Amino acid sequence: MSAGGTRTDGIRTDGIRTDGLALRLGAFELSDVSLAAARGEVLVLLGPNGAGKSVLLETVAGFHRPLRGRIEIGGRDVTRLSPEARRIAYVFQNFALFPHLTVRQNIAFGTTSGGARESGRAEHERRVTSLIDRFGLAALAGRRPGALSGGEKQRVALARALATDPELFLFDEPFSALDALTRDALRDELASFLREARLPALYVTHDHAEAHALADRVAIVDGGAVVQAGTAAEVFAAPRNARVARLLGIENIVEGVVRANGAGLAVEIGVPPAIVVPLARITAAPRTRMRLSLRAAEIALGAPGASALPGEVAFDATVREVGQRGPLLRLRCDAGFPIIAWATSAQLRALAAVPGARIGLRCPQDAFHPLGD
Amino acid sequence: MDAVAARRGSTLYLLFWFAGSLALAFIVIPLVELLVQPGLAGVVRTARLPDVRSAIGLSLAAAAATAAIATAIGVPLAWMLAGRAFPGKGLIEAVVDLPLTVPHTVAGIALLLAFGREGVLGAPAAEWLGLRFWGTFAGIVVAMLFVSLPYLVNAARVGFEEGVDPHLVKVARTLGARPGRVFVRIVLPLAWRGIMAGVTLTFARAISEFASVAMLAYYPMTAPIRIYEMFLRFGLSDAVGAAVLFLVIVLVLFVVLRQFAYGRRRTRGFGR
Repeated sequence: MSAGGTRTDGIRTDGIRTDGLALRLGAFELSDVSLAAARGEVLVLLGPNGAGKSVLLETVAGFHRPLRGRIEIGGRDVTRLSPEARRIAYVFQNFALFPHLTVRQNIAFGTTSGGARESGRAEHERRVTSLIDRFGLAALAGRRPGALSGGEKQRVALARALATDPELFLFDEPFSALDALTRDALRDELASFLREARLPALYVTHDHAEAHALADRVAIVDGGAVVQAGTAAEVFAAPRNARVARLLGIENIVEGVVRANGAGLAVEIGVPPAIVVPLARITAAPRTRMRLSLRAAEIALGAPGASALPGEVAFDATVREVGQRGPLLRLRCDAGFPIIAWATSAQLRALAAVPGARIGLRCPQDAFHPLGD
Repeated sequence: MDAVAARRGSTLYLLFWFAGSLALAFIVIPLVELLVQPGLAGVVRTARLPDVRSAIGLSLAAAAATAAIATAIGVPLAWMLAGRAFPGKGLIEAVVDLPLTVPHTVAGIALLLAFGREGVLGAPAAEWLGLRFWGTFAGIVVAMLFVSLPYLVNAARVGFEEGVDPHLVKVARTLGARPGRVFVRIVLPLAWRGIMAGVTLTFARAISEFASVAMLAYYPMTAPIRIYEMFLRFGLSDAVGAAVLFLVIVLVLFVVLRQFAYGRRRTRGFGR
């Protein structure tokens, strides 16, 4: 377990793991990166642009030589192997299909590379044909990639990657150049593909929604280091600090003051306190300030003045702004501190929650997560 | 407001076309003048002269050899220079461009010193390979290569940088292809147009070279030297026939090569 809180123990080594990987590339540095994903797991590397996610992926693929550390794929130490010997399937933005080759030639490229033996040639052909059929590409086999739709390109890229019988999938923002509609459709298709493929996958993105949709595990990469890692549920529920919370797309980061609360501690938020959140399993000095994250999806809307049920907090807020975000509405509210909630149009109509109106908000106490520095 | 903007736009448009037609006229008028001067009979007469025919043949052969050698040694250099930065890259780029800035008479003297009988390259080549450069076909090629190599390297490099998405190279590697195979199957086909553009420019530059060829290998005479010689000895009227013949052959070749190199290019409007 590294200082970054990266958890690699307890994961069998037939997936992907890196231990203490360090790299210098010009002015850029990766330090002490330890990650792991088992077979069938998708580990999403989430971070801002320039954080080093792509460089990390390229290092796993063998395009940069690490200063220190070790990379293991499918139980083999590949740290000193060249990219062509690592049995990796790399999927890039726009899928990076070879534009001068047909769909069939693209898929066959891998199988015939590395000095195909005569005896293996018929086997390659059979494998390519079965992949073309499996991905429904038979009608397109003779076409060039330029004429394909986004979905067709993705299927060609995946078929091409599978043709080499890889041990690991690497995805570097494959959807970042696509329109939103195509992106959503392809993401679903990819998610079900990855569930079936039973291979470990590293998936780089700066989009927390994509991370949420695909990840079994999440590693937050920032400034060339892994600042937090764990299962997707763990990381999304318990971001280390405010920066990680923002990268995860958590809408609310509220600040309060720690007070004694019976035998334990609580955080009072707002002046005068609008909410008192009891703290469990946390030690903090009274009267210090503490920040808490709260996912807007945890917040329920109701009439103002409602009292909290056991294990809940309830507070009133004034609606400041209502904005459409896809099918949902995003409410910017003021409860003595800014707070964001989501609602459907039907809910807003029922509550008459126009800007200026008072509404009641409630959420579970444990939806508040204390943030470190 | 809109009408004013549109009119100003069209004034600029007309101005630019006017300036552009000056440039085009400057290139075309002397060549057209040359073509209409001697009449077909004059050209046919010169075309029958064995001296002229052998000079044109020599020019074509030497320029073709130059383009072939330039491709063989220039394409690898262009690939090494394409994309990524490395220490000393700027210096290598400057060296590649050097022949463009050196006056060709100076280049000729430098080549004489290096490739002459006593030269640092000329002496061992004569001793071990029996290859002499002073007044030989090899000398012509050396002079042509020196002045035309930058065109090949620079055009091929643009071809690599614009034609080859680095991601394709990485994907090909991870699919199990070694660097050599990636270069042949992916990089070369995608940079093909850039390389062919370089070959065209190199060939054109080589076949038109006069000064450095004249200093290293005045004999056997290439077409530009033969034309110069005819002009000095017999005057303009005799030189014109040979000049037209040479021009027509070179133009035809140039059009064919350009077709290979550029083909039909997809164009995008700038909203002029």
